[in-house]
Amino acid sequence: MGNSNLSVSGTAPHPAARPATRAFKMKKHWNKYAMIYIFLVPILVHFSIFHLFPILFSLYITFTDWPIIGDPKFIGLKNWINFFSDQLAWKAIWNTILFSLYYIVPTMALGLCLALLINTGKRGTGFFKGIYFLPVVTSFVVISGIWAWLFKGTDSGFVNSFLGLFGIEPQLFLSDSIQAMMVLAGLSVFKVCGSTMIYYYAGLQSVPDEFYEAARIDGASRWHLFWKITFPLLMPIHFYVAIITTIGSFQIFDSAFLLTSGGPNFSTTTIVYYLYQEGFTSLRLGYASVLAYILFFIVFGISLIQKKALGKEVNYK
Amino acid sequence: MNKVSRWTYVPLALLGLLFIIPFLIMLGGSFIPMKVPSGNPFLWITEEHVSLSNFMYILVNAKFTKWILNSLIITIIPVFSQMFFAAVLGYIFAKKQFPGKEFIFWVMMAVIMLPSQLLIIPRYIMFSEFGWINTYWPLIVPEIWSILGVFFVRQYMQTLPKDLEEAAHMDGANDFTVFFKIMLPMSKPVIATVGTFAFISNWNDLLTPLIFTTSEDMFPVTVGLASLLTKEGNFGVEMAGSVLSFIPTFLIFLFFQRYFVKGIALSGLK
Repeated sequence: MGNSNLSVSGTAPHPAARPATRAFKMKKHWNKYAMIYIFLVPILVHFSIFHLFPILFSLYITFTDWPIIGDPKFIGLKNWINFFSDQLAWKAIWNTILFSLYYIVPTMALGLCLALLINTGKRGTGFFKGIYFLPVVTSFVVISGIWAWLFKGTDSGFVNSFLGLFGIEPQLFLSDSIQAMMVLAGLSVFKVCGSTMIYYYAGLQSVPDEFYEAARIDGASRWHLFWKITFPLLMPIHFYVAIITTIGSFQIFDSAFLLTSGGPNFSTTTIVYYLYQEGFTSLRLGYASVLAYILFFIVFGISLIQKKALGKEVNYK
Repeated sequence: MNKVSRWTYVPLALLGLLFIIPFLIMLGGSFIPMKVPSGNPFLWITEEHVSLSNFMYILVNAKFTKWILNSLIITIIPVFSQMFFAAVLGYIFAKKQFPGKEFIFWVMMAVIMLPSQLLIIPRYIMFSEFGWINTYWPLIVPEIWSILGVFFVRQYMQTLPKDLEEAAHMDGANDFTVFFKIMLPMSKPVIATVGTFAFISNWNDLLTPLIFTTSEDMFPVTVGLASLLTKEGNFGVEMAGSVLSFIPTFLIFLFFQRYFVKGIALSGLK
């Protein structure tokens, strides 16, 4: 190494050199941590103000009667107790579960079908992949605007006039307390299954070809190949997709707000829609925070199941 | 699964049609001055009364240009600042050693798991105190960096070989040089993913601006279009508004689709 002349000046333990050494140390410290002081520290301050503090603060808000205008009052556990006897809150939870039931399996099944189709690698699959993915980047507002006219509960609705071609009576769709939630779930399936497709597509590409070849030599049909090889090998993806679509489904708000305003007869009042109503229409921020925590507990519970499921997957390997 | 017959195109095309029809109805309807849609949507474009009157109406009577401008402001600023901070913090968490690093990262990852709706009410009270309601601040300041973006870049930079940066450090380069001259150029794809994600999620967000903006002048295009949907009840005008608000996302989709797809595959967010 050609730095022998440097080593002389760096090692002299002379008393007069001490302040210089300290300065040298500080400079070294600064060189090492400069980026952390300049960028990480301000971001941590930001993180504390806009993430950590609000989370703790909202727990406090649940113990208060906090109107938007006027002074908050500490009322202890009253909001929490009210929640348990609030029938509309339980209805909102049930509605959200219902939405999940309509939404999760179709999203996964359709996403898997789309992934299988584009995974055939035929010419032009890239183009179709783009089309299937288009709703993912489109806002709920745009899709809901179209959906409102597609599923209008009168003769003029597109789907109703289409059904009319086959002699089917006009359906109420968004004005019907049972069908409305299905229409909202359909909207979400349409919007989200493109991203489910991406997960499955990534999973399919990691399945080694040898598996198929061995089975094909044994004379297995394509149907068999799918159910005996592809589907079980995708198990980690199934788990993963199931969890994220479930978590997503519990946060559904936009379409309920835009298309049905929670109705008819509260049949599409989801947890987040009810939270929004309580907080910003009824102006009861304390109670709305309780609902936010209930949502958090539900999502947290699902995440715990995810942890367990993922742990299992590692054990299988 | 190589031997797949030509029949694969049948479901591919049928499903493709199903996915594209709503968009075609939107596009067709935007050129038809119809309060209530009637007739066969596929024949609209061949009919005589095709016009730009819906677009004229929306640009003159609604505050649409202002809404688009608002959306651009609350989207473009976070896009660039999120890309920058994701790159710097991704680098710090991937390559630097400092006390508390694992703990800080773990706390951030825990926070990202929380439903974002939990933050709305406390932030509303905070921002009221700050006097931020009905300004751009609540839509920009909390968004200047994203935990998810930092996570993306960190994961990516951890896979980059150490040789280059070590060699640069040997040559006396400091962290800034290593970051700007080596790590940043090598991480362009993942930074593009962060930017695309930020654009789509900020442009399309409805709930946050719905709560923090109160006057029509401050609406971004999502809230503005939503007010149009509930107020107008005019098919042609609504579709014209939808088309206009859709164009920027469509352009981003056209040019950055692969980055967005990569982000989806990385993240597990919708």
